[in-house]
Formats: sequence, C-alpha cells, structure tokens
Amino acid sequence: MARYLARRLNLFFATSLVLFVVMFSVTAKFPVDHTVALTGIHAPTAEEQASINEAYRLDKGQVSQFIAYLEQRLSGNLGISVTSQNPVFNELTAVLSASFELAFVAGAIALLLGIPLGVLASLSKHKITQHTIMAITLTGYSIPVFWLGLSLSLWFGVRLGWLPISGQINLLYEIKPVTGFLLIDILLWDSRYAWSAFVDALQHIVLPAVTLAVLPFTVVVRITRSAMMSIMEKTYIKAAEARGLRTYTIVMRHALPNAFIPVLKNLGLMLGAFASYAIVVEVIFSWPGVGAWLVSGIYQRDYTVIQGGILAVALIIIFLSILIEVLHTAINPLSRKELYAAH
Amino acid sequence: MPLLDIRNLTIELDTPHGRVKALERVSLTLNPGEIHGLLGESGSGRTLLAKAIMGIPGHNWTIQADRMMWDGQNLLDMSTKARRALMGSEMAMIFQDPISSLDPTIVVGVQIIEAMPENKALPWWRREQDKRKTARQWLHKVGIKETQKVMSSYAWELSDGECQKVMIAIAVANQPRLLIADEPTNSMEVRTQAQIFRLLSKLNQLHNVSILLISHELENLSLWCDRLSVMYSGQIMESGPTADVIAQPYHPYTKAILDNIPDYSNPELHKTMMQTLRGSAPSLQHQPIGCRLGPRCPQAQKHCVNQPKLSHHKDRYFACHFPYYNEPSHDEPLTKS
Repeated sequence: MARYLARRLNLFFATSLVLFVVMFSVTAKFPVDHTVALTGIHAPTAEEQASINEAYRLDKGQVSQFIAYLEQRLSGNLGISVTSQNPVFNELTAVLSASFELAFVAGAIALLLGIPLGVLASLSKHKITQHTIMAITLTGYSIPVFWLGLSLSLWFGVRLGWLPISGQINLLYEIKPVTGFLLIDILLWDSRYAWSAFVDALQHIVLPAVTLAVLPFTVVVRITRSAMMSIMEKTYIKAAEARGLRTYTIVMRHALPNAFIPVLKNLGLMLGAFASYAIVVEVIFSWPGVGAWLVSGIYQRDYTVIQGGILAVALIIIFLSILIEVLHTAINPLSRKELYAAH
Repeated sequence: MPLLDIRNLTIELDTPHGRVKALERVSLTLNPGEIHGLLGESGSGRTLLAKAIMGIPGHNWTIQADRMMWDGQNLLDMSTKARRALMGSEMAMIFQDPISSLDPTIVVGVQIIEAMPENKALPWWRREQDKRKTARQWLHKVGIKETQKVMSSYAWELSDGECQKVMIAIAVANQPRLLIADEPTNSMEVRTQAQIFRLLSKLNQLHNVSILLISHELENLSLWCDRLSVMYSGQIMESGPTADVIAQPYHPYTKAILDNIPDYSNPELHKTMMQTLRGSAPSLQHQPIGCRLGPRCPQAQKHCVNQPKLSHHKDRYFACHFPYYNEPSHDEPLTKS
C-alpha cells in the first residue's frame, strides 16, 4: 500500500512538473514584455529590473530560467496583479475558499440527492417512475449551464424575488475572515446579527449551488442506477437474499458499497467538466470565486492573474483526480487485488 | 405430508431470441427428513429449479405451477416478505459458484456473522460476540482450520474450496428444515468432499434436515441419497428410491446414465465402445417438443412428440411412453457381442 501511495505521489509531482513546463513556455509567448508577464510590474525602475533579472535569472539560459521560475512560483511568489497591484497569491487564497465553498455545497447536493434517487430508480418496479427519473436526468444532463443559471436567476431572483442572484452575502454584513470559508466564518462571528447573516449567506448560495449541482447530480443518478441494476442481479445479492436478509440491509450493506465504486470513478472523470462549469456559474452569479476572478483577469489582460488562476485550478484538478483514485482503491478491495498481483 | 410438493412447475425465460421454456412441467416431492438427489447434466435446469424453490428468481423469469406446497402452504401465494422470512430460517441454499456468491467488498467474516442466528436469551450487547463465536464453531465444523484468518479475508483471497465451505457454514448455521445443496463439493478435493457429505448426512440424521442434493455424479448421489430424481433438459425423467432406480431403471435416460458407468468387473468388456446416447443435449433455444429426450432416445417412437405425463408405479415415478417396465433387471448390455 505504501508503495502504491508513493507511486501516486510521484504521478502528482510528474504531472505538476509538466504543467509548470507548459506554463513557463507559454509565459514567454504572452504579447507583453517578458518581465511584465512574469511579475506584473509595469515599467519597473532600474533597481526593480535588476532584482527581477536576478530572481528570474533572465540573463542565463532557458533551463536556468526555468529553475528560477520554479523556485519563485513554488515559494508562493506569483507576481502582482497588473490591474490591482496586489500580490496574486493573496488574491488567490481569498477567492479559492469561496470557490471551494460553492463546489462543496454543489457536490453535497449532487451526492446526497443523486445516490438515493439512483437507488430508487433502480429498485422501482414501475416503468413510469423509472422512465420519469431517466427523462428528468437526461433533460438535466443536456441543459446548457449558462442558460440554466440565467433562467433560474430570472425566475427565482427577478420574477418571484425569492432569492438573491449575485454575490456571496449582502454587503451590509462585514464578516471578519478567519478560515476564509464564509459560512464557517459567520458561525464563528460573535455578533447578534450572526444568525441573520448566516441565513442571508445560505440564500445567496442556493441558486449557484443548484445550477452547478445539476450536471453531477444527473450523472450520479444515472450511474448509480445502472450500477445498482447490474449488481442486484449478481449472485452474491441472490445469496444474501437466500440468507433471509431484509431488502434494506441488502441494499445498504451489499449493493450500495459496490455501486458506489463506479460512481466514484466517474466523479473523478467529471472533475474537469465540473471545474469549467463552476467558472461559468461563478461569472453568471458574480460569485467571488476563482472562476469569476480568472475571467475578469482574462478580460483585463492581467497576465499574472491568468497564470496564477490556471496554475491553481490545474493543480487542484490534478490533486483531486489522484485523490479520488486513491480513495477508489481504498474503498474497493477488488482493485487492491491487482496491487497484490493476485489473480 | 411431504415437506415440499411441486406439481407441473414451468419456468419460462425471456431471452433476446424470444421466450424459452427452461423447465417444463417439473414435479418433485420431498419428504421430511430425506436426502433427495437431483441428477442432471449441467444446463438441465437443476439450478433454476433450486432457485425457484428458494424464491430468488431472475428478473426475466416467468414461473407457473399447479402447486408449490411448502409444509401445507402454497409458496406461490405467499408475499415476498413471508417468503423472505422463510429463507435463511427454514430453507437454505448452498450455491454452485462459491466465490461470486460472496460480496467482494466485505470481508468474509462479516457475511458469516450476518447469517448467524441470534441468541435471544442473551442481553443484546453480548449477542454480536456470541454470533462471532458460533460462526467460528461452524467454520470449524465444515473443515476450516484457520477460522480467524478466513474470517478476515476477502472472498477473492480464498480458494474455491474454502469459499464453498464458508457458504456451507452460512447455509447450515440456521439449521434449516430444507437445505438445497447445488453441487456443494464440485471444487473440493476428494477427502473434503467426503467430509462435507458426512456433515450433510449428520445434519440430516441428527437435526432432521431434509436435503435436496444437486449433482451430476451418480456415484455420490447413490451413496448418500434416499431418493433420486433424474432431470434432462428441464424435464423430470424419473424419480424413485435410489436403490430401486439403480437396480432397475424404467426410463431410457436413467438406463443410459447407468450404462455410462464403466464396468471393470468383466474383462470381456474392456476396450468396447462406451455406452452413450447419440448426439448431445440440445441448447436452450432449440428444445424438441414433447419428450425432450426424443431425438436421442433409443426407444423413441412417433408418440413421443407428446410430453409423457408423470406416471407412477408403486413408489416410483417416470415420464416415458415406453418405459423399461417389465424387462428383467439384469439386462445384457447392448453392445456386448
């Protein structure tokens, strides 16, 4: 097992290195001065130029420059934003937590609703229930997320006026950042308005989270259903029935753990699509996350922000897909079978 | 009253090639306390019959029967819940394919403990411990020495034989009234086979467990069974007390199987052709009408395109229009010349 983990870690480092190589070579191609692309400092003074030259070893060869680039980036120096003149790293940490919050809520909605619904769809004997669930999920799967986001905010935000349609919280509340995650920060906030602030933040998160959850939700439902259908016909389920176990016990203890394995695998495959959907959703709902930040950076030709955003998003996706693979191995003893080279 | 009484059970399967009758009008009577052998080739529908009795049909099955009586109750009229209550406590089954009958993602021990009977006399917090103890005892009884090691392994880490023993332990632990053993020893070495058969027959004698023993080996069945039913392509050919059936088979198929057993006592027969029926068993999609043995039967006549009813003579049942009914039992082998 330790060897397996070491190999996965190695994969993470190797992939990240390739990512850095790509980022480094692309930086040189940006249609601005090379120092600006690297640091974000416009018209540096002579001293600044000298220190930049030294830090990035601009007078040396390509390999040496790449190593210097790696050193700078890995030590957290992502340069400063061209537009706001703040360090990109600080901006990034602020927006990342908001994105994580949104993604976490959306993922929780998708899994907590998707898996039970998938199980129900697979167990129901009625053709109508099955077809209805399948039709709804297929519709959800094919709706474009930008249209869905706009329609939801039009109906529930503008026409009905039930929910706020932009931002993370009402500007009236000024929450002191402790963990960076707003919902947790509000709960830690010692104020008599904490509860109303919490409700307000929850109301703000509903629309973007639902919009973002639709795609993973439909995928989870469909995969859970098909996995359950095939597993319920397996001999070990029949054997469990023959032992006289109740259907509930069979589903919870024998069928679901087996059905969750393909679901987890597909979640790993879906990460990329999920991230790009998250960017679109953040832009639509003005969610102060990494997606909206990155898109505004692109509009403003803010090259350091673009680099920082891409680096962060790509690293997170690489890390999460490897994490999901490790989890998959951990909960699926059958895949460990291959590790032991047992047949 | 028989423990299990099945009349004219027909199972149809929906396949991509249309609906096929996998079992056609099968009748089976099982008395309490007997070991009943079910003899048949693979593909003759033995497992289907066993699963239908257990009540674990596949999704594409259609089951029809005149009656399926379990101890005076009709199984076909029972609700799923009542049926499930019967399984595990009154009926149990040993499956043919042991490794895939155990959940691959859970260790074997959990699955054994799950099936152990609860000792209601103990307070609830000690029941789990008690179950674990009985599980280990049963594992030991079926011939597993390293019980702790087996209980903490996954099904795919064990050998076929060990899995089969685990399945047997699970099945017999509740001391059911009927135990359906579907090829219980097909992946074991001969010594363990004898051990398992001894265990089954001990269960039968001490706890009055009726056993439906499914196998393709006539030798084993004739050794352990009180009664024998012979199946071919989803039809029952013959049924009766083992000794009588072997001494004088009424049905051409039973006779063919008995002739199949090589006879080493007569040196004259050495190197003669082996007695077999012509051709091979038909596939599920291409079953002949009437008596399914028809095309291969040495006794077949025009009349055999109608399925023969199960007729009985004294204690024996057979489904044949032209049985070896009044022939002498010490019939000369056909090819002797």
